[in-house]
Amino acid sequence: MNPASLVLLDHVSCPFCGLLCDDLSVTGDGKTLAVVARGCDKSRVQFGQAFPANAPCVVDGNPVSLDAAIERATAILRSSTQPLLLSGGADVASMRALLALADRCGAVVDHTNEGLMRNILVLQDSGWITTTLTEIRNRADLVLCVGTDVVSRFPRFFERCGMGGGMLGDQRPAPEVIFLSATPPAGINARTIDVAPNQIAEVFAVLRALVNNKKPQRVEPQLEQLAQRIQRARYGVVVWSAADFDFSQAELTIQAICEWVKDLNKTIRFAGLPLGGNQGDISAHQTITWQSGFPLRTRFTAQGPDYDPHRYAARRLLATDAVDALLYIAEFDSNFAPPATTLPSIVLGRAGMLPPPCTVFIPVGTPGIDRSGHLYRTDNVVAVPLKKLTERGAYSAPQVLNQMTGGLACFV
Amino acid sequence: MLRLKGGKIVDPANGIDGEVRDLYIDGGRLVAPSLAHKIHEDIDISGALVMAGAIDLHTHIGGGKVNIARAMLPEDHRGTQRGATPLLRSGSGRATPSTLTTGYRYAEMGYTACFEPAMLPANARQAHMEMGDTPIVDKGAYALLGNDDFLLRLMQEKAEQQVINDYVAWTLRASQALGIKVVNPGGISAFKFNTRKLDVDEASPHYGITPRAILTTLTRALHALKVPHPLHVHASNLGIPGNIETTLATIDAAEGLPIHLAHIQFHSYAKEGDRKFSSGAARIAEAINGHRNVSADVGQILFGQTVTASGDSMAQHRNSVHARPGKWVVMDIECDAGCGVVPFKYRDQNFVNALQWAIGLEIFLMVDDPWRIFLTTDHPNGAPFTSYPHLMRLLMDKSFRDDQLSRIHPDAAAASCLGSLQRQYSLYEIATMTRAAPARILGLTDRGHLAPGAAADITVYQVQNDAEAMFSAPEYVFKDGVLVARRGKTVGVTRGITHTVKPDFDPAIEKRLRSYFERYHTLSLDNFAISDDEMIECGSRALLTHPCARVA
Repeated sequence: MNPASLVLLDHVSCPFCGLLCDDLSVTGDGKTLAVVARGCDKSRVQFGQAFPANAPCVVDGNPVSLDAAIERATAILRSSTQPLLLSGGADVASMRALLALADRCGAVVDHTNEGLMRNILVLQDSGWITTTLTEIRNRADLVLCVGTDVVSRFPRFFERCGMGGGMLGDQRPAPEVIFLSATPPAGINARTIDVAPNQIAEVFAVLRALVNNKKPQRVEPQLEQLAQRIQRARYGVVVWSAADFDFSQAELTIQAICEWVKDLNKTIRFAGLPLGGNQGDISAHQTITWQSGFPLRTRFTAQGPDYDPHRYAARRLLATDAVDALLYIAEFDSNFAPPATTLPSIVLGRAGMLPPPCTVFIPVGTPGIDRSGHLYRTDNVVAVPLKKLTERGAYSAPQVLNQMTGGLACFV
Repeated sequence: MLRLKGGKIVDPANGIDGEVRDLYIDGGRLVAPSLAHKIHEDIDISGALVMAGAIDLHTHIGGGKVNIARAMLPEDHRGTQRGATPLLRSGSGRATPSTLTTGYRYAEMGYTACFEPAMLPANARQAHMEMGDTPIVDKGAYALLGNDDFLLRLMQEKAEQQVINDYVAWTLRASQALGIKVVNPGGISAFKFNTRKLDVDEASPHYGITPRAILTTLTRALHALKVPHPLHVHASNLGIPGNIETTLATIDAAEGLPIHLAHIQFHSYAKEGDRKFSSGAARIAEAINGHRNVSADVGQILFGQTVTASGDSMAQHRNSVHARPGKWVVMDIECDAGCGVVPFKYRDQNFVNALQWAIGLEIFLMVDDPWRIFLTTDHPNGAPFTSYPHLMRLLMDKSFRDDQLSRIHPDAAAASCLGSLQRQYSLYEIATMTRAAPARILGLTDRGHLAPGAAADITVYQVQNDAEAMFSAPEYVFKDGVLVARRGKTVGVTRGITHTVKPDFDPAIEKRLRSYFERYHTLSLDNFAISDDEMIECGSRALLTHPCARVA
């Protein structure tokens, strides 16, 4: 690296988790980037990943031109009677292009992060009261983390929310943190309550009963203490990560938490924060919802978008041979390989991804490094702009997808 | 050049009422006839009515809460889906249609511009992205202030009005807005501190600021900045019986400066009678008639299933007990604002709902000046925007109205003066309240009228006795001179522009904001603000920045 050509970039947004921290300092020499301030393990690895110059597109194992790869991809979609377009990482611009393509070829659209749908099912069944990062940072005096250490998926969460150091200036005392059914990460001073994951729902049912003055026959003392502590909160927040609730019918656990929060708000203020946004899952949800009216797991039929959160789950469609072609996109993490399949498949992977077994592989740049873009933050409210940091000749996924759309006639 | 031949022009901005004239369109604009321009196409519209494209100045079409409503209510969308065609994208939705469908439906009804009235600065990108995916119509938005920590701190510190003006101007620019709206001034913030109701002269718990002070400060700011659209106000105490006193106090707080009261129907309730709920429409209409600085949109309710999506988290939490179906969302957002989404079914046999329906119509019919009262349903809160043609018929056709009145809860009908109101809106008045007046109050000089130089946003109606049928499916709709809809079907897809204002401010405010953001926020100031280039990335075709100069 020639130090003379090093460029220092400040206020860089990091697209590699749902916190979308936008305060990173990154140096670049035109090829390689390095996070030099306010990085985390994730961002350092991801920004620092080498960019393979001139990485070719691959069709049937052979290097081909971009146009040839797009032509083959378009042919696959053209001859498919039921394609699946699956995101394992895409920003808003890519999702817009993906949805136009889905509309054109009658595809099902889903995301690999299955946790998101656990939250959506609760939203659609009973709703919730939620909050956002700046509210937590400035006003929360109690943060209850349920079933997640938070930092494995969202490394700087506590720092960004004014806990565990790193916060600038504010004199406000840090909120009390309690971990329920999870181990606190290093550096976070927190009380813990041991509960098995499959008992979380039961715990919140008990807490809810206490809120509503319906005292169960036997309540464990630590739960009773927790309930009392919660009642003293001026602004409490319960945090969960649906991705960490990896057990059957986890949506019922999330619902138990959300219904408890609603009942608390009859007399005090308390809010939930569903953690998410990794690999652009919330961006995918937002974009498909405003464009089609339905969340992910929607099939674009001749009669219009058809939503079914169970029938159109990507995992199920692939396992039951209910689709006959797969297009997979992962712009952020080259380790996010597509699901194994013998179907004709098209993969748009972050440049550097080892071409997986697939029919067509197109290496693409990363929004926030190779092109500008947008991602939605964990709180579902803030869309963070991603900047183009460097010009390395990477292909742009939206352009590639739009070219495929342009090559297809309307499927009906 | 395209010529529309022989139509009857209804163009209140230019005082034209039914005169037969030809219109000439070139380069997306209306032009004066000239020999220099060859007529390439003639469309004979003899006998048809011609109005400018309609403008909806208060419709929740984009932004976080609308998308929460969409995601929460797949049942609202089932049965309404349309598949993609070579021309159109697919979509769905009744109460909160998908963005693409929203653009098509508005155009099919002859609307060519829509304004999102509740854009949270923290969520402005989403609003602009959704509007960017709303085809054909022009868009614009009002940014929310008045519950944001920064303004409340400034007021708490007794900052000079000039500093607040700078902050308001900065917000308009940073969020790419056309105006400023305040929702339940101070109340959304107070709700975060566990206050459940805040009257106009009640100090908020944390900042000690009254809603009245917020209203006065913001109306002064917009006046000083010469922003064409006055402060757009969703008043305190929405939906509460007796809130008419709050609404009158809100008018008072403007101190004679221009103020726009949004969805006034929801703020016109008295508490007389056995049920302690009665119409305050007469007093509200009298207040509007007597205060020339006041304008209002009605927020008419119409019976059926809808969903209420509002920035007013305090009111929405209070109303969540009425959620139907029984699910709802409330959010506290970024020390900036809030939101609440509560599905709602208005029933004609429910006394309260029936009286709400009557109160809205009473206000329409008792406010004299169609330049200061606007046709809205507060989409989707009172009813979906697709019910506008039905509402127009209610206003224009007394016998139709009386027939509907006879079907509602009899006690509500008896409690309302609606049956005694003889007024029927004329086409000229409808054109005023849906075209000329909204363009004027938003400062859109080249929209809402049909004089040469105006954008060729034109709606042509085949005259019918049934106003609902007539307004549902115009014969032709042109957007910027392009034929986009024919007999209620989209036949051309264009992209509208985004209307904004960009008042100047003293850069000192940015310095102050920068340190505030670094200390308290979770996004940097530079990423909070949206540049013109980013607006194009968000999906806007182009920006039209209107001058900040008050039109007489």
